[in-house]
Parts: sequence; structure tokens; C-alpha cells
Amino acid sequence: MSRFLFVVPPLTGHVNPTASVGGELLARGHGVAWVGHPGTLRTLLPDDARIFPAIDDALEADIRAKRERWLALRGMAVLKFFWEEFLIPLGHSMVPGVEAAVRAFRPDLVVADQQALAGPLVARESGLPWVTSASTSAELVNPLRTMPKVDAWVRDLLHDFAGGDVRFSERLVLVYSSKALVAGEFGDEVAFVGPALSHRVERTGFPWDWLGGSPGGGAAGRSPGLAGRCVLVSLGTLNGPAGERFLGQTLEAVDGLPVRVVMVAEPRPAPSNVLVLPSVPQLALLPHLDAVVTHGGHNTACEALAHGLPLVVAPIRDDQPTVAAQVVAAGAGVRLTYSRARAADIRSALTSVLDEPEYAAAAGAVRDSFLAAGGAAAAADRLEKVVAG
Amino acid sequence: MDEVLQQVAKLITEVVGPDFLLGVEITRDTTFSDDLGLESIEFVALADKLNAHYGVDLVAFLADMDIDEIMAMSVGRLVDHITARV
Repeated sequence: MSRFLFVVPPLTGHVNPTASVGGELLARGHGVAWVGHPGTLRTLLPDDARIFPAIDDALEADIRAKRERWLALRGMAVLKFFWEEFLIPLGHSMVPGVEAAVRAFRPDLVVADQQALAGPLVARESGLPWVTSASTSAELVNPLRTMPKVDAWVRDLLHDFAGGDVRFSERLVLVYSSKALVAGEFGDEVAFVGPALSHRVERTGFPWDWLGGSPGGGAAGRSPGLAGRCVLVSLGTLNGPAGERFLGQTLEAVDGLPVRVVMVAEPRPAPSNVLVLPSVPQLALLPHLDAVVTHGGHNTACEALAHGLPLVVAPIRDDQPTVAAQVVAAGAGVRLTYSRARAADIRSALTSVLDEPEYAAAAGAVRDSFLAAGGAAAAADRLEKVVAG
Repeated sequence: MDEVLQQVAKLITEVVGPDFLLGVEITRDTTFSDDLGLESIEFVALADKLNAHYGVDLVAFLADMDIDEIMAMSVGRLVDHITARV
């Protein structure tokens, strides 16, 4: 049996795939531990997960405050802030905790999230092999390729920090997507394993009666026809003022539509067919849905597609425009302009993905590609292979 | 010169939608990043329009810039680039 150490930032979307892959490794009898922000990790990992601290509550609060400021930025300022004020400082802050975790846990392999730069740095210093957990596929296609000077600036920052481009391991890069979404040619070290959804723990409750079904009942258990349709609206955990505008337009868009809507947002007045909740058990909810309106976070988009659900994608920033482009190219959804889409645009997009069967069929094809990719089990196979040499 | 500025402003308005520019006059000092908040898909649409209208390659123009220059990119700088090329 081997020992695997996951190094993760305090971001839900980055922890979730490691929760699944780590859970699979634990089920196979391996030793598994996580290092990051214990408060974030405890909500997403099994009760008995072994957790090492690398980010204390004060730093985590500071990171959240920074992200609030970051939400007010637009255009290229977002990228500058992301690297200079977030990723590189976070990498430095996590180094002592990751070093301590390596000493205490003595892993055979370090599995570093692409935004936990301390992982590769410490692994190199300790003479340990490391691999990449890419919680989004966007870096693979390098959205900066048309701006070589900006691309070089990112690479210089990485070289100064760790002596190389530690976004990509030469041994293994786990990508939780498939070739049905990500176009291009990649080396053998890049493993498209599809979304890793097994072994995940969801601690949030949900009023299942509102859906008229029980968890696990599935959409098939409901009465057919438009009135039975249900849509999730989720813009992720961070959105700010532009998010408020989009959510307001969405409420107007679905008012009077014969669909039920679960909207992930702070409490607010809403039409009678909308249920507004601050958080939902998304994986448990997806089998009950017919479509998802999302900002295009990699996890939400791929989790929806893993259930064959068509999407309305209104990308905000980061990898989201890339994810939106992947969804549109696959034919599995409609793209909207986040900061400018009106109620009529949102209603029209939602009606299209619900009523035109091509979208659900394309989403189904992506789901099939994910099933073939193997998920957490395929990721665990690849990780075992790296340790075996 | 003014003619190019007017045409570029018209193309930007077509891309962004006139509703969102109410009260915002596009001048030489208007920045793409901060003032207009151009989203990536709008940027692509604008590049297509500039290419069709002037045969100017916006992506190639930006390829030469570093991150601070791109952040500060103004309508005036684009207008000068077009004027020099056309």
C-alpha cells in the first residue's frame, strides 16, 4: 500500500475532485492525507479524513477578502491580480505547512492541485515525485496563447517561485474532463479521467418534498411535460454586484414559465416557482433536474454534463469563458453574456435547451464520454501506476 | 481621424449593445478593460468587425503588448493603430 498527500487551496471546486480520488484510494487501502485549510477541508472530506494545516483561519479570511476586491476588477486586471495577489502569495504561505505535512506523513507521492503551487515546490525540495490535479481543463488549452508577452509573464512568475512551470507535472496531469469537451493533442502524461464524483460527502440538506420526489427518485419518476421540469441556477460561491444583476434578470426570466427553479443565492423575493437556497447538495440534486444555468465553473458544468443535462452558460472570468466555449462547441448548451444578458435572453436560452432535444442529446454524448473515462477509479489507477514507477 | 473614432465607437456599440452604453460617451480615453469591461466573447466579435471593416488584426495588435499595456489599452490607441495602417 502507498501513501498519497493531496495539496489543495481553500477553494471548494479544487478540493472536490481530490475528495473523490482520495476517497477511492482510501477504499483501496492506501494511506491518504490532505494539506490545506482545515476548516474548508472538513466540510468537504469524510469525517475520518487525515488533514494537515497549511492555511490558518486568518489567512483564509484574508484570501476571501482579497477575492471580494478581485470581483470588482475587469478585463486583464483580473489576471494580474490573480497571479500577483493570490496564487504566488498563497504558494509562499502554504510552504511551511506542506513541509510539515511531508515530514509527518511521509508520502510516496504528492498530488498538487494546479492552484497549490507549494505542492510541487516542496515535493522537489524533498526529492518526492509530484503529479498535477487540474481542477479545470482551461490551462491545458492555454487561453493566453494569443498574448505571448502575457503568457511569458506568467511563466516568469512561476520560474521565480519554483524554478519551472509547476502547473503541469511531467509524470501525470489528472484532468476531470474528456476529449469530447477539450480539443487538442496532449502528451501521454495528460489523463482525461472525467469528473470524479464517487466517494463525495455532501452535508447540506434539501427540501425534497418541494421537488415532489425523494432523493434518488430521479427525473423519470416525475410526471412528464413542461410543468414537471426543474432547473438549477448556480453562479458558484463568488459573484458580487454583476451576479446580483444576473440573478435578478434570471428571476424575471423564469417568472410565469412552467418550470420549477432552484436558485443558489442569498435569500431574496422570488416568484412562486423559484426556491432560493444559500447552498444545495448539488450531486444529490442533479438527477432530478432537466437543465442547469451556470457561470461555467468547471465542476458545476461537468457535473451537470455527467448527468446528461444541457446548460445555459454565462461565464464571468478565469477559466469560465473557456468552459463555456467547450460546452457550445459540444452542442450541449447556449452561451450568454454574463454582464449584459437580459431576462428575455435568459428565457430564450433556457427555453431552447429545455425544448430542443439536440442540446440534451449532445449533453448525453458528453456524459457517455465521461462514463468511458472512468472517473475517480481511473484517476486512482493512474496514481498507483506513478508510484509503481 | 475623428471618422475612425466614430466608426470604432459604432462597432463597439454594436458589439456591446446600445442599452449598456447609455450615458457613456466613447472617447479616445475610454479603456477596453476598465471602462467598457469587454468580455472575451465581445472582444472576439469586435476583432471580427474590425477585420471586416479595416482589415486590421486586433489579436495581432495585442500580441505585441505586455499585461500593463493591455490593461491600459484605450480606444484612442486602437484608433491610432488603425489610422497608421489604413
